[in-house]
Amino acid sequence: MNIRRNAVAAADSVPTQQFLTFRIGAEFFGMALKQTREILEYTDVTTVPLMPKFLRGVINLRGEMVPVIDLSVRLGRDPLDVQRRTCIIVVELLVEEQLHVLGLLADAVSEVIDVSPDDIEDTPAFGAKIRADFIQGIAKRDGNFVVLLDANSALSVRELAHLVETELQ
Amino acid sequence: MNLDAALQTFFAEAEELLVSMEAALLRVEDGADDGETLNEIFRAAHTIKGSAGLFGLNAIVSFTHIVENILDRAREGSVQIDSALLGILLQCRDHIAALVSDEMQQQEATPERLQQGDALLQQLLPWMKDKPAAPPAAAVISASSTDDGAVGTWHLSLRLGPDCLRNGMDPLSFIRFLATLGEIIQLVTLDEALPDVADFDAETLYLGFEIDLRTSADRNSIESVFDFVRDDADIRILPPHSKIEQYIELIHSLPENPLRLGEILVQSGALSPAALQQALHRQQSTRQPRAPLLGEILSDSQTVATAVLDAALDKQKKSVGGKSAAENRSIRVDAEKLDKLINLIGELVISRQRVDLLSAQAGHGPLSEAVASLGNFTEQIRDAALTLRMVQIGETFQRFRRVVRDTSMELGKSIDLVISGAETELDRSMVEKLTDPLTHIVRNAIDHGIEPVEVRRASGKSDTGTLQLSACHEAGNIVIEISDDGGGLNLEKIRAKAIANGIVDATASLSDNEIFQLIFHAGLSTAEQVTNLSGRGVGMDVVKRNIESLQGGIDIDSVRGQGTSLRIRLPLTLAIIDGFHVAASATQFIIPQTTVLECMDLSSLPAVKGRSCVNLRGDQVPYIRLREIFVLPDRSRGEKREKLVVVQFGHNRAGVVVDDLFGEIQTVVKPLSPIFQALRGVGGSSLLGSGDIAFILDIPQLIELAITREARSVGTTLHSTQEHSP
Repeated sequence: MNIRRNAVAAADSVPTQQFLTFRIGAEFFGMALKQTREILEYTDVTTVPLMPKFLRGVINLRGEMVPVIDLSVRLGRDPLDVQRRTCIIVVELLVEEQLHVLGLLADAVSEVIDVSPDDIEDTPAFGAKIRADFIQGIAKRDGNFVVLLDANSALSVRELAHLVETELQ
Repeated sequence: MNLDAALQTFFAEAEELLVSMEAALLRVEDGADDGETLNEIFRAAHTIKGSAGLFGLNAIVSFTHIVENILDRAREGSVQIDSALLGILLQCRDHIAALVSDEMQQQEATPERLQQGDALLQQLLPWMKDKPAAPPAAAVISASSTDDGAVGTWHLSLRLGPDCLRNGMDPLSFIRFLATLGEIIQLVTLDEALPDVADFDAETLYLGFEIDLRTSADRNSIESVFDFVRDDADIRILPPHSKIEQYIELIHSLPENPLRLGEILVQSGALSPAALQQALHRQQSTRQPRAPLLGEILSDSQTVATAVLDAALDKQKKSVGGKSAAENRSIRVDAEKLDKLINLIGELVISRQRVDLLSAQAGHGPLSEAVASLGNFTEQIRDAALTLRMVQIGETFQRFRRVVRDTSMELGKSIDLVISGAETELDRSMVEKLTDPLTHIVRNAIDHGIEPVEVRRASGKSDTGTLQLSACHEAGNIVIEISDDGGGLNLEKIRAKAIANGIVDATASLSDNEIFQLIFHAGLSTAEQVTNLSGRGVGMDVVKRNIESLQGGIDIDSVRGQGTSLRIRLPLTLAIIDGFHVAASATQFIIPQTTVLECMDLSSLPAVKGRSCVNLRGDQVPYIRLREIFVLPDRSRGEKREKLVVVQFGHNRAGVVVDDLFGEIQTVVKPLSPIFQALRGVGGSSLLGSGDIAFILDIPQLIELAITREARSVGTTLHSTQEHSP
């Protein structure tokens, strides 16, 4: 089984995927590079009234109002503390042919890594303390585990909107 | 090749044509009896049929064809359009519209739809009867066969031009459409022009077609199949029983090998082998002794052909002349591109405000001057860009001719629709949202406003009621007025009903205007008889809400026995609003200017004990503290004096309490991400000159939010805050 997977990967050299890695607290995460648009230095986020904690507010990105998500809260950790190296990763999600732009707060951005399917380890059934459907897989880099996020699920616009609705009730 | 794009164009055009067809039909009904109106109706049907044929939309083609047929006969004068036929034709138009919309949604026509179509065609039969007895199917084929009636074999040489595919035309669809005119006896594809594989361009058309078509259609009908490609195409059509010379001429004038073409003609039976031999030979023999002779022969025969062609082209030009001139004056632009442009200009406006701010700080004379002139142009660009999206309201008004016609017929009333100010322009996005409320108001006016004939006679009015639709610009707003000369609103009845329904207190004294406004209350209908059209007590409240969501307002004026008039006031565009810039805590808000009545210090007004109400010149006005409703931190520590902004919502007033007033501002509306959809009270966001973000308040929503909050926390209904002050 394993041999066959290697053979497929060897014959087909393309399927390495690029991920942008970043740090939140002591953990490292990866986001598919093709879904990230740019990285911004932290600027003041305008708070939107009555929003749940994971929704920090909106920023003006060259005239576009972009919601900023505190990924740390979304993943079930404490709210992120803004520090000198805090940045906003701007991601683009294509949902039902509609492009949604979101900003993610991160403590620091590390690097872009190439991940071949072989490098991706299966998600452990438990222990990651993150909802399983948020995780695309786990890669190992320099002795660290990098949690590769499934943006479409972790940042599902529909689910976020639903959470806002629940908060408002 | 993008057939899809071409198909979208077809849908857009078909919709426009159907609208103008309806308008023209209604003009005929109003007594217009000129040839041009009939021509317009005919052309609409004809073009829809032709284009539909290109895409192989057979359901549309076969139905429209028969309608077109009748229209053609009306044009000739052999059929008189009376009111019965007109009624059917209007229904036929609707059916075509339904068929087009089926295709648009990529739905197969349902059996019911087909039945409807058949039923309509059945109704049309009497007007087709005086035709020489022919089975209905044959009638379909024989189109407008007035000159060449008899069935014959036509020879067509099609060279559709190399760009044909690139322009979104599929040669196959032409051939498919030809087949609807008659029977294709022979079709030979000429592939001689195909290049080597290396040079082959997938989007270039290299093929030619030689077709023999057996049909009773005339030259015009056959030529009109190719209306859309005529410009770049080389299309030759030889009628049945053409002279041998004409075939020979055809052979020589086409780029392909004469022998091959000759063979094709022989195969089809148009030429006998002997005739071909003889012809080719004759030409060869004449060519040898005196070379110029061939040229002479050809040019001779060609002049004939050119003359025929010119005549045909001329005819074509005449029939479409007026239209193409009009088309050249406007271009079709993707609405999204326009929206993008307007967005960018919004950015420009904001950037300019920022530059303004900075230059004022810098205090540099020449710089300030330059910035001022930049500002001037920015404003002009903004205004010019906004007008790009403006459309005349006339087209929307025209649609009501049909609504009025159908509604008044159903109710047995006779009503004149008078339209004025049709050239008044407003934002396209508003027009779309206006149609529903306007339709409702118009129906209401016909149903409840204008009295039945007997009542009108009794009160000395003319039998025919008048409904007026008018539009005009007024101080940066557009005002649309719908007025009727009907019975007017019955104040007592409305009041009684409102009291019965618990909307107002029996003891409350209400001004006329306050009573008028009650008709916008949900659950209030004064019609004694609930008709199928209106009177179910839903509607007017929805109308009002729709108008308010467009940042507009609606007023009523009514005189008992003389009529009612509704005035809708709307901003010209939704992209930019005039607002009042305020702040609560550190959050900045914009209150739409149209809702703001006045501003004052909260502490200057006597408070009503124990309630969030102030006494404003004797009226109790409830207020909402933005800081409280949006749960914002109190940063003033009681040092700052709170301000009260009095706003109007519906027929009520309310106060919005804020920490800071900054003044009037014109600003660009930016929608918020759908993530915030559930957030009530905020309609959008906006960038300020400083680069800060402000939230645009939606006042009706905000009030609703306050009411539900209060209801939840106090456990009472909205009555406590919303009752009318004595």
